[in-house]
Amino acid sequence: MQTLDQIAKVIRSKNAGPFCLTLDVLFDKLADYQRVLAAQIITPEKMADLYQQPVANVQVFNHERALAMKVSLVRWTPAGSLTDTDIYGAQQHVLLYKLPVP
Amino acid sequence: MKPELKIFAASGQLGYGIPEDAFKRGVAAGPHVIGADLGSIDPGPYCLGSGNMVVGGEALRRDIRMVLEAHKSTGAPLLMGSAGTAGRRSQLDAVLEVVESVAKERGLKFRMAVIASDIPKELIESRMDRVKPCGVVPTLTKEELARATGVVAQMGVEPFQRAIDMGAEVIVAGRSCDTSMFAAIPRMRGYDAGLTMHMAKLIECASSCADPGGRDAAMGVIGDGYFTVESMDPKQRCTPVSVAAHSLYEQSDPFLLDEPGGTIDLRASKYEQVDDRRVRVTGSVWSPTPYHVKMEGARLTGYRFVAMCGIRDPRMIAELETVQTETRKVIERTFKDSIDPKDYSLIFRNYGKNAVLGPVEPDPTLVASHEIFVLIDVVGKTESIAKTVCGVAKQFFLHLRYPGILCTSGNVAHPFSPDVMPAGAVYEFNVYHLLPVDDPCELFPIEIRNVG
Repeated sequence: MQTLDQIAKVIRSKNAGPFCLTLDVLFDKLADYQRVLAAQIITPEKMADLYQQPVANVQVFNHERALAMKVSLVRWTPAGSLTDTDIYGAQQHVLLYKLPVP
Repeated sequence: MKPELKIFAASGQLGYGIPEDAFKRGVAAGPHVIGADLGSIDPGPYCLGSGNMVVGGEALRRDIRMVLEAHKSTGAPLLMGSAGTAGRRSQLDAVLEVVESVAKERGLKFRMAVIASDIPKELIESRMDRVKPCGVVPTLTKEELARATGVVAQMGVEPFQRAIDMGAEVIVAGRSCDTSMFAAIPRMRGYDAGLTMHMAKLIECASSCADPGGRDAAMGVIGDGYFTVESMDPKQRCTPVSVAAHSLYEQSDPFLLDEPGGTIDLRASKYEQVDDRRVRVTGSVWSPTPYHVKMEGARLTGYRFVAMCGIRDPRMIAELETVQTETRKVIERTFKDSIDPKDYSLIFRNYGKNAVLGPVEPDPTLVASHEIFVLIDVVGKTESIAKTVCGVAKQFFLHLRYPGILCTSGNVAHPFSPDVMPAGAVYEFNVYHLLPVDDPCELFPIEIRNVG
C-alpha cells in the first residue's frame, strides 16, 4: 500500500504562534487530493491519536482550491519552554509520512 | 477605476541578506511602496524577553543600505516593521542606530517616523478585565504580568498610516503585524481591505508564495477588485496552487485570518494564472471585528549551560539511560545540602532516540544507530547553579561505570573545550493575549526625526 509521503508534494509543520503547531499536506493533482481525502486518514481523531492531544485541541481543514489539508493542534509544550525540542515546530511533520493511503 | 499600486516586499526578514538580483529587478519595476519585515515571534522567547538582537552586524547594515537606497532611487515610502526581531524599544533603537549611520555614510536625507510598540504594564493592568487569552493560553494575572521582562503589542496599519500623514518617508516601527507595512498605504488610498490584507499576507514572506518558493523579493500589485503577486526572481513562478497554499502558511485556520480590527476571509478567494509567472486573486473579503491588538511578553526562567556528548561505543549506547538515571541520582545526592532540585532542570536530550519529537516519538529506540548525540541541557535559577550542575552531570556521565563496560577511560566524546558551555539567559512566553483598544494608534507613539 502507498503511504502519504509517496503521494503528497509537500508535507510540512510549522508553529502558528508559540502555542500552536500547524501541519500542511499539499498535493499537485486534484486526484491525489481527492484520493487522500476519501481515505479519511487525516481526521481530528486520528491526528489527536498521533500527536497525543485531546480531540478538542485538534482542527482539520480540507482546502480543495489549494489542494491542501491542514491540521492545527495545540503544541505539547509551548515554543521555547524548558522541555521544547523544536522552537520553530519545523520537524514535527514526520509522523504523517507513513500514513497508509488505500 | 483606481490605478494599479505596486507594493514591493523587499525581504521576508531584513538582516538575513536580501538576494540581490531579484531585489534590483523589483526596484527597477518602479514600486509605489517598499515594505520590509524585520522580525517575528518564531525564534522563540529569547529576543522578546532579553531585548537583545539576534541579527545584526554587517548583514543588517547591508540590507538596510539596500532598502534605503531603493527608497532614494524610487521615491517610494519605505515601511519597516518589527525592528530587531521582537520589536522592543532596545531593539528598535539598535535598528535606528544602523539606519541613521547608513544614512550618514551615504549622504541620504529623509523624514523618518519611529513608532514604538512597548506597552506599559500599568496600562495593561488598568484594563485587565478586558484582556483575553489568544488561543490556548492561561488567563493573564497581575502576578504573571509582573514577571514579564517587557510587553510589546503588534500594531495594525493605522500607526503606519498616521506616520505617513505626518509626512514620513521612512518608517521604522517596533512590533508590527506582518501585514501592516504592505497594507497601510493601499488601505489609506481606499483599495479593498480584504484584497489588500490578503496580498500583504502573501508577500510578507517575499517569494515563499512562488513555486519553487524562495526568499527573494516579491511584488504585489493591487488594482480595482483584484491583486496580482509575482516573485522578482524569474525562475520562480507563482501558480494558483502555490499562492493558495501559501495563504495557509503559518496560519492555524486556512480560510479566516484574524488581524487587528477584522478577519481576512478567504473562503471565496479565486486564484487565476495571468501569465507564466503571475497570479491574480479576487474575492477575498474583510470582515470588521472589534479592534484588539495582540500582546507578547516573556519572563526569565533561568540560565542555561550545555555539554555536547558524542557516543560511539555500542555498550554505552545500550546502557545510555541507565547511566543517565544514575548520573541524576548522583547529582541529587551530591548537592542534597546545597542545591534544591527545584532550582534547576536537567534534561538529557538523546539525539538518535527522541530528542526531536519528544513524547510523540513513535519509535523511541536507539538500536538502529552506530553513533548518537546527547545534549546535556541544564537550566538553573542562577548561572552558578546551572554551571555547577551541568559540570558535575557532564563529569559523572563521562565516567560512570555501567554493566558490560569495557572502556573505563571515558563514556563520551566531547567535541569542544570548554566541554561545558554557557548558553545564556532562558526565557519563556508568558503573555500572548489580546487587548481591546478604542483607538488603534493609542498604544503606539510616533516620533518624527529629520535624518541627514
